[in-house]
Amino acid sequence: MILIALPILLLWAGAVILAMLDGTRKPVVLFAIAILTSAIVATGFLAHEVLTEGTQEMLLGGWPQGISIAMRVDALGIVFALVSLLVLLAALVYEALGHIGARIFPALVMFMALGLTGIFFTGDAFNFYVFFEISMISAYVMANYGETPRQFRAAFIFIVVNLLGSVFFLIGIAAIYHTTGWLDMVLIREQMPLVAENPAILTATIIFVAFSIKLGLFPFHFWLPAVYTGTRPAVAAIFSGALANIGTYGLLRFGADIFPRELEQGAPVLMILASASIIYGGVQAVSRHTPNEVLAYSSIGQVGYVLIALAIGGEAGYAAAVLYAVINAANKTLLFLSVNLRGKAIGIAYAVGAFSVAGIPPVGGFLGKLGLFQLVTEKGDWWFVILIFVGGALSFVYMFELFRRRFWVPGDGEAVFVPASVLVGVLAVLIIAIGLWPEPLLQLSEHAARVFPERVP
Amino acid sequence: MILAFSIAVAVLFGAGSYLLLKRDLIRLIVGMVLIGNAANLFIMATALRRGEAPVLPADGPMSDPMVQSMTLTAIVISFSTTALMLALVYRVYGAHSTVSIDDLAFAEESESQAEEADDAADFLDSWSTRLPDSDLAPLTTSASPTEARP
Repeated sequence: MILIALPILLLWAGAVILAMLDGTRKPVVLFAIAILTSAIVATGFLAHEVLTEGTQEMLLGGWPQGISIAMRVDALGIVFALVSLLVLLAALVYEALGHIGARIFPALVMFMALGLTGIFFTGDAFNFYVFFEISMISAYVMANYGETPRQFRAAFIFIVVNLLGSVFFLIGIAAIYHTTGWLDMVLIREQMPLVAENPAILTATIIFVAFSIKLGLFPFHFWLPAVYTGTRPAVAAIFSGALANIGTYGLLRFGADIFPRELEQGAPVLMILASASIIYGGVQAVSRHTPNEVLAYSSIGQVGYVLIALAIGGEAGYAAAVLYAVINAANKTLLFLSVNLRGKAIGIAYAVGAFSVAGIPPVGGFLGKLGLFQLVTEKGDWWFVILIFVGGALSFVYMFELFRRRFWVPGDGEAVFVPASVLVGVLAVLIIAIGLWPEPLLQLSEHAARVFPERVP
Repeated sequence: MILAFSIAVAVLFGAGSYLLLKRDLIRLIVGMVLIGNAANLFIMATALRRGEAPVLPADGPMSDPMVQSMTLTAIVISFSTTALMLALVYRVYGAHSTVSIDDLAFAEESESQAEEADDAADFLDSWSTRLPDSDLAPLTTSASPTEARP
């Protein structure tokens, strides 16, 4: 299937060319936007193929399965790839409408798009690591965008902590290779039930820690606010809308697909961490004052909801996790892009995002909360019903406290420039549209959740 | 053989973690390099077979070529991230003229305190009937700058 290779090759070539050009010049930025858009179109065609004909596969070099590195695209991968690419496009366009502060920025966006697409398209565990590092390294550089001393310090923490996460992941991959004898994820999945219990749990834990660090889950979150606080809106949007998808996708792929037995055993731990994350993120966000800091803690809280869905599991649980992750990415992109601008229209767009985070109809976030709610009430866990209520109330408080501080009082802030408010408006309309016409996204997330094999009790 | 590998990995990882806890950015990077190499050695140790170098034609059993290629890739990646970290330390040094974490923490603290004061002032201007200054400040600053300095 040549269509699998097309987005990756486009982004790859684009990234290498852009790395050599001056990204602050308008034609170069337009070229970057064109490449990214065409990659999205190619991914869209691929999505059509995947959704109508099922999982697409390409074995690199024509070697037989198990020897060759496989590229494999299923519904789960394609959903995350589309969302991440769209978030990257929105952030790039936002920066291009203002002004691009560093010549390397478009190339970095392209490299990150390449890494993310590769992660979501690969069917090989080690290849996953390589693409993972490509996107992480571009994130490390991107954390310095703006070049203030504060960002250098934050970026250093970011690199050291996330590099440790990558090392854990690498160790996990090596352990999987040793215990199963394969690197191809389908073959690993078949072999995994035969692996003894202790090594499997140890490996699953190491991989869980690695992805939790990327996600900024509660006890591994400490790097996240520092990085988000000093950074520019577009970069914060990329980190929380695109880069965090690695964590969610990784937990789904490795948890639900490769370690379903260990995921079930670890579910109580996951639920405790998720509850702690929701409450800690919410309370911290209420107490903070700078917009980026509030939103950063809000991200820590939102991750908890995805984790609850994952811990409950089953097809409905995975579908809820995918749905929540997608809507959360859209919310955070809108919020980070709008909160540093001023003006009435921007205020309305921000309010849409804020309602969405709090989960109030008719905006998109309601869907995610509704899915979760159905899940926990069906399971009859009243603690989670209360938790979701409390979490929602907290997010309502911090979102509108921020709204009041940013949009109700006259003050400084970036002057409104019209093109950016159009972009933010489009994002807001998109989120409302998801809320009003939810069927496509619901079907997509259910489709994505069906890629996992049924759990055998 | 596995025992020797385990001990070597443990020593490397332990030494790396020890260096990570030091209050100096350069030592921190050396610690990361050691931990990265512990991971590389771990990959080598996960080989499924041991034997001759995996080059055809071979007489006797060959060692597992898969782990060697994985290690090679991991070495390249950790090399590039090390270079990136060193470049970043240089930028930090350029901005602060120091690579000591204590001094950087001090700079961080005074910066955030200045911001906090600004924030509180804005807050009071906009909402003059609200809380006095003293109620706002301690929420986010736990340690005073004099304590942060050794």
